[in-house]
Amino acid sequence: MGGRPSVEDLLRTALGVAEASGVMYADVRLVAPQRYVHLAVRNGSASALTDARREGLGVRVRTDRAWGFAATSDLSAASARSTARIAVRLARAAGRTAPNRLPVTDDPVPKGGRYATPVRRDPFDVPREEVLSLLTDAEARLHVGPEVKSGLASFQAWEETKSFASSAGASFQSHIVHVGAGVSATAVRGSSVQRRSAPTSFGGDFAQAGFEFVEGIGLAERAATAGREARALLSARACPTGRTALVLGSDQLALQVHESVGHAVELDRILGSEAGFAGTSWVRPETIGHLDYGSSAMNVVADATEPGGLGTFGWDDEGVPAQRTPIVQAGTLVGVLSSREWAARLGLSRSGGTARAQGPERSPLIRMTNVDLLPGDLSFDELLEGVDDGVYLETNRSWSIDDKRLNFQFGTEVGRRIVNGELGDLVRNPLYSGMTPEFWRSMDAVGNRATWHLWGVTNCGKGQPGQVARVGHGAPAARFRGIAVRGG
Amino acid sequence: MSRPVRRSRDPFAEALGGLGEGRSADARRVRTRGITIRFANGRIHQPHFDELTHVSFRVADGCRLGTATTSDTSDRGLALVRESALGLARVAPVEPKFLGFPAGGGPSVVRVPFSELTASLSPEAVTKLAERVLAAAEEVLPGSRIAGAVNVGQEELRVVNSAGLDRRSRSSVAQASVLVDVPEKDPPVSGWSEGAHWDGARLDPERLGREAAERVARSEPKSVPPGAYRVVLRGSALSDVLAFFAHLGFSGHGEEEGWSCLRRRRGARIAPEFVTVTDDPRSQHTIPQGIDYEGTATRRTALVDHGIAGPAVTDLLTAGRLRRELTGHAPPPEAPWGEFGPSPAHLVLNAGDASENELVRETRRGLLVTRFHYVRVVDPGRGVITGMTRDGTYRIERGEVVGPARNLRFTESVLTILRGLELLGRERRIYSDEAGGSSVTTPSAAVRSLRFTSATLF
Repeated sequence: MGGRPSVEDLLRTALGVAEASGVMYADVRLVAPQRYVHLAVRNGSASALTDARREGLGVRVRTDRAWGFAATSDLSAASARSTARIAVRLARAAGRTAPNRLPVTDDPVPKGGRYATPVRRDPFDVPREEVLSLLTDAEARLHVGPEVKSGLASFQAWEETKSFASSAGASFQSHIVHVGAGVSATAVRGSSVQRRSAPTSFGGDFAQAGFEFVEGIGLAERAATAGREARALLSARACPTGRTALVLGSDQLALQVHESVGHAVELDRILGSEAGFAGTSWVRPETIGHLDYGSSAMNVVADATEPGGLGTFGWDDEGVPAQRTPIVQAGTLVGVLSSREWAARLGLSRSGGTARAQGPERSPLIRMTNVDLLPGDLSFDELLEGVDDGVYLETNRSWSIDDKRLNFQFGTEVGRRIVNGELGDLVRNPLYSGMTPEFWRSMDAVGNRATWHLWGVTNCGKGQPGQVARVGHGAPAARFRGIAVRGG
Repeated sequence: MSRPVRRSRDPFAEALGGLGEGRSADARRVRTRGITIRFANGRIHQPHFDELTHVSFRVADGCRLGTATTSDTSDRGLALVRESALGLARVAPVEPKFLGFPAGGGPSVVRVPFSELTASLSPEAVTKLAERVLAAAEEVLPGSRIAGAVNVGQEELRVVNSAGLDRRSRSSVAQASVLVDVPEKDPPVSGWSEGAHWDGARLDPERLGREAAERVARSEPKSVPPGAYRVVLRGSALSDVLAFFAHLGFSGHGEEEGWSCLRRRRGARIAPEFVTVTDDPRSQHTIPQGIDYEGTATRRTALVDHGIAGPAVTDLLTAGRLRRELTGHAPPPEAPWGEFGPSPAHLVLNAGDASENELVRETRRGLLVTRFHYVRVVDPGRGVITGMTRDGTYRIERGEVVGPARNLRFTESVLTILRGLELLGRERRIYSDEAGGSSVTTPSAAVRSLRFTSATLF
């Protein structure tokens, strides 16, 4: 009687076509649905109130020489069959250019695994009126004066229900929920534009959790402060120029970890796979295990098992279990982010389990999970106490780094002078720059657990066609010496 | 006796009906087909195909707007998405400047340059294009490391609304990029080339492969101290600057919220008289797009007319808020695009009459820049952006390219760059994202001064 085939039938159909073609391996990911609700209030009006659902099926196959990937949003049996056939055709065509066999690691596979985000209050069931009331109230509080030309309060909820099966007998299902919210005030005077966001920029903070996470942000209280600071920044002095002591707040340090550690230790970049687009890495493969990446205070892990992170899951999109991988230990590079192919190309026997895809329509790539800088033992005040003259910066405003992840320049929304161990006046348009290894080697003190926060980042781009990954970064506040800062 | 005409059902358009008193709606159906063949380390490593459809509904309950999207185009899927949009509209804050959906004269197809052949290329044919790029680069520089991608795609867009608008348009794109490098050199040296066209037959894979390989410097890159330099920007570098200039200067949101770097400069001279920048989605010199995502027919917009700054661009909501006319720049209304707002995406800078050699010859001391990387906004109000040079930066002395330079970071206002344009190249090329959604058509150019604020190690 027609109707849509079941998830199991679609997985079986696509796998069956791929296997019958004689490929060495095939896996199928079916997402139904991936849902995204975005509610935003801008200057008292609705801004892009969206409830988006999509479904799809992605088939990936491997011959002895090459991968092939094809995807469709049409969840019919006929489409599943034709999509699998195209994946096979692509792999065969690509294999013509491959001089050698394609290696992969042999990892344990899940058999009927299940993973689900623990949620106390399902964000998709919260009445829209309640969310919009929260946003409207918070957005109104941003407007502390006529200089605040624009206010924005937004809420996002994302969920993905995924089923995975492979020709190696792997199968799992997962249901992951992410939520987040934030506010942002833009103050303008002449050509001076100042923005202040809370809890941080680019949509706020996000977690793998239910609506209870949003309720705990304290959006309305943070909004009034953000509005006042945006206005005050219009009158603030420019950030001083020179080499100085720098204390970074947790949210900016999370971005620093993302750009100058996370991307740099992606093994596909290190081995040249991303050279034509995102770039490569200053890390050379032969230095893994002994490279002096930073000071002895630097400890970084990639932890896909961390509760609440956007990079937390049961299995990656190759069916490899989530892992906690040391990346930097006491300043030495000891690990990298890897997938089955790239781990094998480096000579590793197991994948690090970080192959992730944006959705069913994209092939998995090595992506960050939750790449965290581990906390030290100094309080925030103790970090400042060691500074006679310096600056404190928080909340990213601009970020740019070269294609080997060496030369960076980051701007933040706000800065404060540090004078004799205490926070002083606001400074506007702060920029700091440096080279990745010198910067991390200059870190002389790391804040304790009280300064540490696990941030959710929803906009990490990579790959062709482009993909956006949702990743996590835990970071404390930390202190650096002799950093080049200036006012933009 | 006439026989009744049997019409096929049109569930997409029918879903707009019966919304109830005081309600209206528009809807988009986007069908895409894309093939990407990526290569790295001299072999094809990520071949990709996708065929995707999604529908978005925006319902206005009076002046309250809600949007929902789905990839399920069955009757059930369309009913669900309509109800979701309506549910959001019912509780949305009022948008007082919403002027209603624009009327249309019934079904129409807006035709722009389009290649059926490109749109229907097989996976094997696109793979062949990638192989041709690889072979051409390898022939010029055997043993080098070659990476890049060939992208081919099409989009079919149909927009309907409850005021009778029903428009369709199709677009096609073929795009390729290639990087050739010699990684064992320390510091490594690399060369780059890219190009795009709506007609895949006009993409020249051999030329791109050869060009990238020929641009790989044979000598060791030298350090250049940061500072202000006269620069020759190849089109692949200038296209990035122009894209940021267009957003920072002409975004409807930027105008509305006061952060546009041109807010107080409309009608004023911002570039030399010989500079004209248009947004021209109908032109065969871009990746054409016939309608925007609200169904407004696109048209040529002068952004900089002989050096004079034009107005910001609009969609339905910004036109209402700014009391301007619709310019046909609506992004999809759903997040995240709706948040981004209207912005020019089919830029064309006029050509000049200089060859690349002539651009260099006019430079006593400066730099030739092939490409920028990771360009980001530092200060929107002043139009300041930053980014790194990449894949082919060369020193110019006494009018000649004398060798490669290690890469540098620039931090400069787009307004300073536009104002500093001194000479434009005669050959223009189309630079596009992989899906053809935004493109910049530009020649190379000589710029009086670009401020480099730091340098990297390679």
